[in-house]
Amino acid sequence: MITAGIDIGSITTKAAVLKNNQIMGIKISFTGYNAEKAGGKIFQELLSEIKLDEKDVEKIVSTGYGRNSVKFAHKSITEITCHAAGAYFLDPSVRSIIDVGGQDSKALLLGNEGKVKDFAMNDKCAAGTGRFLEVMARALHLNLDEMGEISLKADSPSKISSICTVFAESEVISLISKGESRENIIAGIHDSVASRITALAKRVNVAEPIMMTGGVAKNSGVVKAIEDKLGIPMKISEFAQVNGAIGAALLAVKV
Amino acid sequence: MKVLTEFYDIVTNPYSYARKWKTESGGKILATFCSYAPEEIIYASGALPFRIFGTSENITLADSHLQSYCCSLVRGSLEEALAGRLNFLDGTVFPHTCDSIQRLSDIWRINAGFPLHFDVILPVKLNTPNAGEYFQDVLKKFLKDIETALHIEIDNDKLIEAVKLYNNIREKTGAIYRLKSDYPEIISGRDLHTVIKAGMLMDRKDYLLKLDDLLELLDDKKENSQKSSKKRIMLAGGICNHPDIYTLLEDSGAAVIWDDLCTGTRFTEGIIEEKADPLAAITKRYLDRAVCPAKHSGLFVRGERLVKLAKEHNAAGVIFLFLKFCDPHCFDYPYLKSYLDKEGIRNMLLEIEEQPQSEGQLKTRFETFIDML
Repeated sequence: MITAGIDIGSITTKAAVLKNNQIMGIKISFTGYNAEKAGGKIFQELLSEIKLDEKDVEKIVSTGYGRNSVKFAHKSITEITCHAAGAYFLDPSVRSIIDVGGQDSKALLLGNEGKVKDFAMNDKCAAGTGRFLEVMARALHLNLDEMGEISLKADSPSKISSICTVFAESEVISLISKGESRENIIAGIHDSVASRITALAKRVNVAEPIMMTGGVAKNSGVVKAIEDKLGIPMKISEFAQVNGAIGAALLAVKV
Repeated sequence: MKVLTEFYDIVTNPYSYARKWKTESGGKILATFCSYAPEEIIYASGALPFRIFGTSENITLADSHLQSYCCSLVRGSLEEALAGRLNFLDGTVFPHTCDSIQRLSDIWRINAGFPLHFDVILPVKLNTPNAGEYFQDVLKKFLKDIETALHIEIDNDKLIEAVKLYNNIREKTGAIYRLKSDYPEIISGRDLHTVIKAGMLMDRKDYLLKLDDLLELLDDKKENSQKSSKKRIMLAGGICNHPDIYTLLEDSGAAVIWDDLCTGTRFTEGIIEEKADPLAAITKRYLDRAVCPAKHSGLFVRGERLVKLAKEHNAAGVIFLFLKFCDPHCFDYPYLKSYLDKEGIRNMLLEIEEQPQSEGQLKTRFETFIDML
């Protein structure tokens, strides 16, 4: 059975096609202004890449912030449930997930067979999210992808104490003008994001092993900062960013 | 149902209702903020107890007096007063509950400009040997204060009449709650919320009559109310002023079948002994009633009660619904959550503000939670 999962996030849209629990293809693109269009476009592009026709795909599940705008999906399921299913598929030993995306960060505790047992989500502001990192990358004239590696070279991470993204950005700008090294500033930013996420993780009493999913899992600096704070190493799959879409495609089998 | 429409009209436009009530009856209106305001005494004085629920507008005036760590009920209510939208009020009754409400009392007294102001300094610990006597003394003082302020006399007959009316109302609202638990789809969550909220605003005699009408209609619906397949949810926390929450939950396949809310069963429950001395009997209800986290009646009472309610009503899950920055509720949360976790009762925490929420995030959390059940 061939199924697909479409995950419309606030910044990126992800798609995955599975055949009998094997990944046939994945794709990531920017969501842009029109979530509905983004879902249709990525699906068509992925199908043509893996040389499938729309009719070959039996069931489609949409997920993510824009899940209800995917009209061609048979069902929409929240990204929290999908990330749990995806992580369980990638590694059945995983007991907890830290998912950090564009506008949300979540900590999940898994029950049996990849079902969610408990979860917590950032609800006061966007401090511990990908968008926070994007703002900071812009202030430092860097690409988002470079941040992880640069931060690992820090010798003394700066202290960023504002939780508010805008105030934190002005802290960063003051640090720049004081001549603080880029490495230390970025490491400080990662520490700040990690503090928010660790607090969230503690709220649900995350159990080992923990997998980190979502786009921010690609940032090795944030990953290390969270691991240091939790005192536990995390599992990072090569599919971390498309994990939600993979979970959606898996759940589509039962739709 | 026509009677529901009447409740909706009042709840949607409470201030116009209050103005109309005042013009027609010539009576006084006293605002309250929480279910510890002794409404029986306010009613016996002839005034209308009228609950204030913050604002749905942006807060601009109140923040000159209050910090952003105060909850939106406190900030929003002050905003309404300072903006002049509550100018139909004659005064306000502040029972001693959380820190923010205590502090709001003085800020309100100085800045809101209403002629009447009552602080009802209730005890915090309700399970000590002297709490009952002290509580009753406080109510007696409030009664005297209100008599002096309104130039009236509240005799025992008036108090007994108030006790009977409130008992009657609480019996009826209790019956509606039980119907909702037995037949989750007999009345929508939004409708039930509106019915209960109307009882905090409108003329209570009129309210009782309308409750009778509603109960009659609901009793007729009983036979046709199928067993519901919706997941049974209980809400626990402080104020719920968001009817959309009920609708969002229902759209996601759940029904709120019970609550432990200040705007829910903590307000509606508890029958007052009618044959005893009325002030002593009113006191006893407040002492026996489920406490909110700003009061104390035993170290683990709230946790035990929460588990008992969830089991009694066969709740599949509990949603903690707190106003953001409500410290009393947040202090109790970790221990209450552990009580539910120990019993294997799934639960989630939702912190809301009085102003409308971002629906997307709310939906994601509700749908996930319902999937978990």
